[in-house]
Amino acid sequence: MKKISRREFLKYLGSVLTLETIFMKSEGWSKEEKKEFYGLLVDITKCIGCRRCERACAEANGLPIPDISEEKNKEVFKTLRDTSTTQYTVINKYETEKGVVYVSRRCMHCNQPGCVAACLVKAMRKRETGQVTWDLNCIGCRLCMISCPFGIPKFEYEKAIPKIQKCDLCFDRFNKGLIPACVEACPTGALTFGKRRELIEEAKRRIKSDPDKYIPYIYGEYEVGGTCVLYLSSVPFEQIGFNTQLGYEPYPKYTTGFLYAVPFIFILWPLAMLGFRKAVEGGKKHREEEKKE
Amino acid sequence: MEEKTVLEIKEPEIKSFSDFWKFFKEELKPKGKIFTPFNVITFPIMIVGYICILIRLIKGLGYPVTNLSQEFPWGLWIGFDVVTGVAFAGGGYVLAFIVYILRDERFYPILRPTILNAFLAYVFYAGAIVLDIGRWWNIYNPMVGNYFGYNSVMFLVAWHFFLYMLAAFIEISPAIAEWLGLRRIRKILGTLTLGAVIFGVALSTLHQSGLGALMMMAKNKIHPLWYTEFIPILYFISSIFAGLSLVIFEGSISHKVFEWQIPEEYHKAYPGIVFSLAKICALVMWGYLFIKLIVLVHDRSYPYLNSTMGFWYLIEVIGFVLIPAILYAEGYTRKSLLIIKCASILTLIGIIINRLNYTFIAYNWFVPLAKKYWPTPIELLITASIVLTEIWVFRWIVNRMPIVRPAPAWARKLESH
Amino acid sequence: MEGLFTYYDMFATKGVEYLIILVFLISFIFVWKYFERKAPY
Repeated sequence: MKKISRREFLKYLGSVLTLETIFMKSEGWSKEEKKEFYGLLVDITKCIGCRRCERACAEANGLPIPDISEEKNKEVFKTLRDTSTTQYTVINKYETEKGVVYVSRRCMHCNQPGCVAACLVKAMRKRETGQVTWDLNCIGCRLCMISCPFGIPKFEYEKAIPKIQKCDLCFDRFNKGLIPACVEACPTGALTFGKRRELIEEAKRRIKSDPDKYIPYIYGEYEVGGTCVLYLSSVPFEQIGFNTQLGYEPYPKYTTGFLYAVPFIFILWPLAMLGFRKAVEGGKKHREEEKKE
Repeated sequence: MEEKTVLEIKEPEIKSFSDFWKFFKEELKPKGKIFTPFNVITFPIMIVGYICILIRLIKGLGYPVTNLSQEFPWGLWIGFDVVTGVAFAGGGYVLAFIVYILRDERFYPILRPTILNAFLAYVFYAGAIVLDIGRWWNIYNPMVGNYFGYNSVMFLVAWHFFLYMLAAFIEISPAIAEWLGLRRIRKILGTLTLGAVIFGVALSTLHQSGLGALMMMAKNKIHPLWYTEFIPILYFISSIFAGLSLVIFEGSISHKVFEWQIPEEYHKAYPGIVFSLAKICALVMWGYLFIKLIVLVHDRSYPYLNSTMGFWYLIEVIGFVLIPAILYAEGYTRKSLLIIKCASILTLIGIIINRLNYTFIAYNWFVPLAKKYWPTPIELLITASIVLTEIWVFRWIVNRMPIVRPAPAWARKLESH
Repeated sequence: MEGLFTYYDMFATKGVEYLIILVFLISFIFVWKYFERKAPY
């Protein structure tokens, strides 16, 4: 039997217990748990680029199933891909100083999403449990696409009845007590689903216990006010396609200045215009009367 | 066909719907030569455009109907038809403000054509919106039901569009009542005008700036020389001289086309009106340029001037705002209608450039050339047919209702002017 | 309490704000009419 140190055993126990509490139990969510945001922790150091998450996502959402054989993957990784109307998540391969790194990309499910703030019919909604979902009452104006700092929502231009397509963190599966399909399919544990708060604690734990492996930064913890999809990496984020210049201000805040001015204009403009008119008419009348004298 | 003079337009006696229907059918007949060069050229374009509209409705927005893409969700229809079109229609609220709030009667002769134009612009550009949005059958959703997205700037813009159409319609409705000879209705409508104007100016302020506010969350996509927290203010101020420039430009055309309707006193007043509008434009543009300067300094974006996009920015601001502003001032002091007309054309081009910059030129400006957006022929044809149809409707109305020609005597007695 | 995010809905009051605007504009008509009756210029 292999001898393991007590420290290693406790570490193992700790991670198993944490993963147990984080992973979905088959009974379903309890009512109290539902009120917190859930999210996804993407540990880039663990991703091997097998693309099983892409296939599982396609199967769960009725999208065309991608070919994820070794030869196909080699070909696919030659170019950097974005998500599309038929692919809610994609893996991209980066050559870095620390070797090859595989980075998955999907909707970040922001805490304060720009797309939700932009939607004039509440088709884009931030659910109480954190998922950002799209609904059929959408009018197809595409303002959500303009407002997303990550450029995630994709529009089906070629269809006569188009939809906006993006990852919804498997919201339907969640309501049935399941975890997202991609998380279930991941063979290395690169994807972890759970409460955002607990994921951040877990991410910090990993950084602390393996300081040589991880950049001490959780992407998504504070970006644009915080996102529910969080990333850990072994290489600096700007080297692997992440925008690190987005700032920490939630995107909807950029519109509140204008929206707040609306009531003031509606109240002050009519009063001012009435005032101008009275002043002008009064002045005219006064001058006419003076002329008569 | 004999030329109609101002005095010969006869008023119908409408006492019932069948009277109205008979009159309306009579009015539908063309009043003038059918095969003019303008008609012969524009009518086929319009027909092809309508066919393209049908194609768009059946096939959706994908290529070859439009070149819209995931990188460029908004193109010619939103950028030009809607956003630029609304800026051009700004003359309506500015002139209504000048005539009804500041009580400057000198501008009265051009008031009705301008308001009619603004009303038609909003109607047709609302139509352009319906064509552009991908799920147009849901268009009523922002208006009814429990789908009110209060959080959205677009929600505000959509409602304002609708409400402003109502306000502009109320402002122009006296002319319709005069056309139909409905005296009592005309009297009632006259009392509604001031309220509609006040409401219309508040609405216009907010939706002109609102169209700019739509882009506020595109912070990481719009070039720093154009992106600023003051975009709404820039849009509002520029809508003032955009609208007035269109009034000057389009007025110079209408003035010749509908010459036979214009009485002597209006003819004499016309140059004076244009000079005053030129002066207003020059002053507002001068203020606008200083605001642009403050934005440049406050946002510390002046280092970006030293680049290709910086050069493009300078072309827009110097070539199409500063230079026409100077031309307006010169045209005013030298009393030259020609210089002013040139200034108006340059200003209009500048507004088009500015609005399209925010839509797909300075928006995602770093996208490689192969993926950049250019309008397709179908997009251009549909845009052309929308604009031409609006012109045809404008002409139909002006040839029948007292828009360019003064109101009938009984209507003029109702108001102090 | 690291990583704790308390959700602040910045648009929660927008519906009420628009209603207040509506009430103001309607009351504006009556206030204006009142002043016209009292001292028309």
